[in-house]
Amino acid sequence: MMKEEEFTFFEAYLSEELSEEERLSFENRLKKERELSEAFNNYKELYGFLEHKFTTEKATEAFTKNLSEISKGYFSSKKKTKVIRFKPWQYAAAASVVLFLGITMFNNFGGNPAYSDFAVHETLSLTERGNQNKLYLNAEQAFNSNNYEQAEQLFSEILASNPNLVEVELYKAISLIEINQFTLADTILLGISNQNSAYKYSAKWYLALSKLKQKQYDDCDLFLKEIPVGSDVYELAQELLSVL
Amino acid sequence: MNDKKTHRDQLYIIGLLNNDSIIIKEIYEKFAPKVIHYICRNSGNEHDANDIIQEVLITIYHQAQKNNFKLTCPFDAYFFLLCKRMWFNVLKKTSKKEVTINEEILSINDDASLLSFETIEFDERQQLFEEMFQKLGNACKDLLKASFTIKSLQEVADKLGVSYAYVRKKKSLCVGKLTKLVQGSPVFKKFKN
Repeated sequence: MMKEEEFTFFEAYLSEELSEEERLSFENRLKKERELSEAFNNYKELYGFLEHKFTTEKATEAFTKNLSEISKGYFSSKKKTKVIRFKPWQYAAAASVVLFLGITMFNNFGGNPAYSDFAVHETLSLTERGNQNKLYLNAEQAFNSNNYEQAEQLFSEILASNPNLVEVELYKAISLIEINQFTLADTILLGISNQNSAYKYSAKWYLALSKLKQKQYDDCDLFLKEIPVGSDVYELAQELLSVL
Repeated sequence: MNDKKTHRDQLYIIGLLNNDSIIIKEIYEKFAPKVIHYICRNSGNEHDANDIIQEVLITIYHQAQKNNFKLTCPFDAYFFLLCKRMWFNVLKKTSKKEVTINEEILSINDDASLLSFETIEFDERQQLFEEMFQKLGNACKDLLKASFTIKSLQEVADKLGVSYAYVRKKKSLCVGKLTKLVQGSPVFKKFKN
């Protein structure tokens, strides 16, 4: 263990209070005595630590405070975006992300995300809008039981008499992605995403998912990036972007 | 490391150093989602991600302040690895199961990997030093605080009502005591290996 005098010597050396002769002899000892040089290096590092600790205390405090406010702002605005989510396919997509989180723990290095990780469609409820039409009920049931081929046909029937139902169009496109009819799905989705409707960005999201399923990652990336902050699917898009 | 070119993302380091809110917000917007996603997928939640991100940014801030820190890789990679490693450290502490980070063996020669290792070690050393500092007696703590905040030891002596020679000697003995505490800690011995 170091003697107390040695520390006094370290201090004098660091504050350049030694004579030339003393300095040289100390440096010479540092070269020869391992224990001394180790202790001196530790002393120097701790000296630096203390200097830093006390001279930057106020700046660090200000930084930490500012950081915690920015962080609070960031995370609370994230939560707000979440509350706005209300469309069934968004719940579905969110649920699928949770599922995705569950099954890919510690296991997502290298390789691209899969379509199925991000798109699990749950309950569609067209009849909630007071429409008890049997066709609508059947379409809903087919979609909700993952019978996408039948759902697609029924959605087409609905659209034949009501071509302006954008929501049904969107579900038709989702069904088409599910049964790998990408060309038609993408055409419908592009149409929706180019109009101004409540489904504009959901259409972009599904376009991205369609590209993901087609393993066209660059296109997927492009569509995701067209989804602006504040839209309902922004967070999902960012989540997918982060693993692409 | 010093002969390597500084990456243009050094602007984030400078932004942190200057406590620049715009840059800090940008860091959150651009780089936080990936970390949140990662932590949520690995036994954590958004709250954990929030803590880790803050901790990592404070560590980068300290390192940048002290060591004239030079970023030689994209900020994204460096920041993400740091968050990941800090999160694994938390998991290691809280869970009994063995946690491994396999993919890092592959990228060990990366600048990002090296830099983040350096930063983590820097952080661990600082934490140890702080912990040992807290073990010093109040007399030492007060004297060290005064002598590092007030630059002139004479002023410190006047303030504490003691002689200059006493302050000077006491200061070196207190730093010496801290040195001994650090050298004697098992964590510090681990650093050396």
